[in-house]
Amino acid sequence: MSYSSFTLDRVKTEFQLEIAMPTNLFCDIAPVAPSAHLTKELERNVPVALAIGTEKARSEMIVGDVLLELREHFDRRISLFSGIDFSVDVEKGLTGMCDFLVSLSPVLFVLEAPIIVLVEAKKDDLLEGLGQCVAEMIAAQQFNAERENSIPYIYGVSTTGADWRFLKLGGQQLHIDTEFYSIHGCDKILGILSSMVEQKA
Amino acid sequence: MAYGNFTLETVRKTFRLETDEAADISSDIESVAPSTELSKILARNVPVAIGINTEKAKSEMIVANVLLELREQFERRISVFSGIDFNVDAESGLTGVCDFLISLSPTQFHLETPVIILVEAKKDDPTNGLGQCVAEMIAAQRFNKEKGNNLPCIYGATTTGTMWQFLKLEGINLHIDNAVYSIGQCDKILGILGSMVEQKA
Repeated sequence: MSYSSFTLDRVKTEFQLEIAMPTNLFCDIAPVAPSAHLTKELERNVPVALAIGTEKARSEMIVGDVLLELREHFDRRISLFSGIDFSVDVEKGLTGMCDFLVSLSPVLFVLEAPIIVLVEAKKDDLLEGLGQCVAEMIAAQQFNAERENSIPYIYGVSTTGADWRFLKLGGQQLHIDTEFYSIHGCDKILGILSSMVEQKA
Repeated sequence: MAYGNFTLETVRKTFRLETDEAADISSDIESVAPSTELSKILARNVPVAIGINTEKAKSEMIVANVLLELREQFERRISVFSGIDFNVDAESGLTGVCDFLISLSPTQFHLETPVIILVEAKKDDPTNGLGQCVAEMIAAQRFNKEKGNNLPCIYGATTTGTMWQFLKLEGINLHIDNAVYSIGQCDKILGILGSMVEQKA
């Protein structure tokens, strides 16, 4: 048992989640312009990553760059983790690796609470990553609570690099955004991620 | 059996390689200055990748950027692949996923011959990747030959992102470079990779 064995249905049943009425959660969030640097990186990388098509290429040539830019946007006051072992509760199956994870602590060498955004990268299908991402979000809730550093909302992202879909978990209520965003609207994606870090999303 | 199962010892025995473990592949090769873009990317990324310290973070924040720069230096006339299945000969154990692979064909949508450089990423020690990298180099030799596109030499690199070691395979003669380069000498690393692409190393 680990994060990857959770489907959306299974994670909903096992953790008694209530799925909120579908809404366009982030439509009002203001875009954040990407730096000239990120724009150039994406111009060079996106066609290569999509041609190669593997989850690895999409992660390293697109997703990683967007999240590194997010860290710069907050003057490195937040931390970004990639491919770390995030084992929180073996009995409940909340173990495994996280593709990417953002914490509000600036420390990089160890993961500190509060964890705010969990990012799951997929090769083709955004829906496929939802259950896994939600399981990681529940683990982050528990991780933060155990360290007495709870925050009202934990956010999630399921992405192919090309398309991005966002999630929000408050207590046991799960919001799944009805919209998905393309990397060509990178400013909107950065806006949503920033508002998550600011806990305003 | 797959690439990951080979140690330097088993790959040498299985494929009857003649090995020079202290070869000089790189000392005379001229450095190539990185673009200001790459210098900026590395200045931002290397400390983060070292902090996170996973193979995934080191691959996506350092190695991929160096290889994408190499592709730019050759005006996109070469292709870079990341995380693709490279199954060449199941009976000999030459199957599995390659971390990174460079071909002299410009096509990015699928792998075409001739494959020239195989790059194996490791978390802690580049020497841990030697056996696996050599197995992939042998597979590339066979892959090129089967497609009637043989090259006299196939090259390899094992890297932690921060440390790079280079290899050369000529027939059954394996040369392991006696030097290990740090990402601080990125110009030298780019020079070596460039001379491999030009088949001058």
